[in-house]
Amino acid sequence: MLLAPSDSEAEVIVPEPSTEEFRPKMNATAVDVYYGDTHAVKKVDLPILEGDVTALIGPSGCGKSTLLRCFNRMNDAIAACRVEGEITLEGRSIFDAEIDVVELRARVGMVFQKPNPFPKSVYDNVAYGPRIHGIARKGPEMDAIVASSLERAGLWQEVKDRLQESGTALSGGQQQRLCIARAIAVDPEVILMDEPCSALDPIATAKIEELICELRGRFAIAIVTHNMQQAARVSQRTAFFHLGELVEYGRTEDIFTNPVQERTRDYITGRYG
Amino acid sequence: MITFALSMLLLATGASFVLGRRRVLAMVERPVDLQSLPGYYGWYTALWCLVPGFVVVLGWMGSAPWLLEGATLNASGIDLASRSEAEISLFMNNVKNLASGSIPSLPDDPALLAAAERYIELRGRGAAIASGFVALFAAAGFSYAFRRLRPNLAARNDVERVLRLTLMACSTLAVVITFGIVFSLLAETLQFFNRVSPIEFLFGTHWSPQTALRVDQVGSSGSFGAVPIFTGTLLITAIAMLVAVPIGLLSAIYMGFYASRRVRAVAKPLLEVLAGVPTVVYGFFAALAVGPVLRDVGSAIGLSVASESALAAGLIMGVMIIPFVSSLSDDAIAAVPDAMRNGSLGLGATESETIRSVILPAALPGIVNAFLLAASRAIGETMIVVMAAGLAANLTANPLEAVTTVTVQIVTLLTGDQEFDSAKTLSAFALGLVLFFVTLCLNLIALAVVRRFREEYE
Ligand SMILES: Nc1ncnc2c1ncn2[C@@H]1O[C@H](COP(=O)(O)OP(=O)(O)O)[C@@H](O)[C@H]1O
Ligand SMILES: [Mg+2]
Repeated sequence: MLLAPSDSEAEVIVPEPSTEEFRPKMNATAVDVYYGDTHAVKKVDLPILEGDVTALIGPSGCGKSTLLRCFNRMNDAIAACRVEGEITLEGRSIFDAEIDVVELRARVGMVFQKPNPFPKSVYDNVAYGPRIHGIARKGPEMDAIVASSLERAGLWQEVKDRLQESGTALSGGQQQRLCIARAIAVDPEVILMDEPCSALDPIATAKIEELICELRGRFAIAIVTHNMQQAARVSQRTAFFHLGELVEYGRTEDIFTNPVQERTRDYITGRYG
Repeated sequence: MITFALSMLLLATGASFVLGRRRVLAMVERPVDLQSLPGYYGWYTALWCLVPGFVVVLGWMGSAPWLLEGATLNASGIDLASRSEAEISLFMNNVKNLASGSIPSLPDDPALLAAAERYIELRGRGAAIASGFVALFAAAGFSYAFRRLRPNLAARNDVERVLRLTLMACSTLAVVITFGIVFSLLAETLQFFNRVSPIEFLFGTHWSPQTALRVDQVGSSGSFGAVPIFTGTLLITAIAMLVAVPIGLLSAIYMGFYASRRVRAVAKPLLEVLAGVPTVVYGFFAALAVGPVLRDVGSAIGLSVASESALAAGLIMGVMIIPFVSSLSDDAIAAVPDAMRNGSLGLGATESETIRSVILPAALPGIVNAFLLAASRAIGETMIVVMAAGLAANLTANPLEAVTTVTVQIVTLLTGDQEFDSAKTLSAFALGLVLFFVTLCLNLIALAVVRRFREEYE
């Protein structure tokens, strides 16, 4: 009832396969997630495309965050949570015994709903990831990583003179960009963002959106958002969820202008949510 | 008599509550028409009855001893001017003892007997008069309030005000008592320093407080260099912290991050039971079980261990304060937002890297606070050291020897028959003041540290 079966997926998802290559960086197939007896995500198939921004939208409690956390196995930390189905990164299962969750999370970074900089200096916040993964320890090499990550997160100009100040002393929007810089610093392939702007004011939100657009292409990005306009502005693909099911997935302009499913249309036009 | 008056007063208060509430309810059709909830009118009336009556009771209890004494002495016909103050107070003591029947064999002094009878009679009459006043004041208060009852009377505000005053009085009392204790310690300590110089007390290295009864005996002066006692306390506290800090902190980390819910549900309360074991039980465990074992092990490997040693006392004291360290550290760790942990895990850090580089630094102030409070607990602990550390004031850093602590010395100085104004007895107050000062400082530092910690996440 949701999505066409996977063999016809190419048609539904990418109407012009000849002009646009279908490159799933990550792919979820038949993923079910349970919290104890709660069935939070039901048989979901969802690709995250290389170089694109995929938006996950839907009413509260429909399982968007839960699904997002599956992609870097953050659900492992929740005792009651059970994940079934298959998720691949570059064709290899992320549940593979050979793939270490530490390595997975280095390749699939995450930005959270509430900015959560560590109570350390701005510099140490960004240097944290490279240090634990042994990319660099200190000195000019680390300085370069910190500078370029902050640069790419659009924060360098604002903090270059206060690298030793605490990350928690920055404004909310700066903190969130610091968290993005922190994620970029380990050079991930995929970045997952769970409502990264919901705790921010409109100006800070606009900056983050701008940043997401710039990061697009270099990373595969999946973003959960409550904000329809935001999804329309930053994403190329949109997935609409309802009650744990994936109702519709497709190119963002198609979903927003010409949704196939009744429920999608109702949600997008603000009939419920 | 006065207890009877008090119970009657309480009964009357209860009755006033009911009457006041009922009267005001009868004035309106619906209870919502009242300015305050009906109960407040009950309280209003009840308080107007209770407070005046209670003030009279307090006044009587405060003034009765003086009034009775004066009246008895006046009536006894003794020539007050010709007697010394001590004689008069001795006489009064005998009168009171006679009156309460605590002198089994009656002395044969007719003046005394007459005075005692007089005292009993006056006491009875005074109580009766006081009870009458209690009743009068309570009734006056009640009728004043009862007549003032109106549906639009702001009873709530008045009741709140009385409550606030009561709460304020209680906390003031607590503070006043603390200051009272400090001042009495200070006063005695000053007396001690009149006899022994503070320099000798704080820096002298020989402690032998036994002063001889007669001047020609040996060691008649005593010597009050408290350094061996301070070092003994420090040594035992250090050993205790060496035991409690790693075990307490690591178990808090295990409970917080690694233990399954089931393990935590069982292990945490068990750990906290350690805090509920009476210290005297720890004490005989240290003295009877740990001490001898240490001595035997020591002699087996060629070390000489005193059967009462700093090590035995310190080890057991460490066990005693483990729950302090672990449960306070646990609180500090739990106060670090989950978002920190997720942020670190989400970057690919392992659980132990996350704990080491994110959680512990963030929780550090709270953990330091836990250590400081545990240390002040250890410094003030008495029973274990009395039983297991010995009494010898050795100036040593060797944990295998017997040492003594501030608390142990206070106990030995003040138990048994003592003259109250000897340097020996007074030195206990000086030691107590030092103890008080050190633990106060530790607690203040802990408080300051925690205050900084709170700001971090708010
Ligand atoms: N840690 C958890 N424990 C138990 N149930 C959870 C947990 N997190 C989410 N859920 C449940 O899973 C469902 C989906 O939640 P979530 O993924 O947070 O939705 P969304 O992000 O779309 O608002 C909800 O019903 C929620 O109550
Ligand atoms: Mg969510």
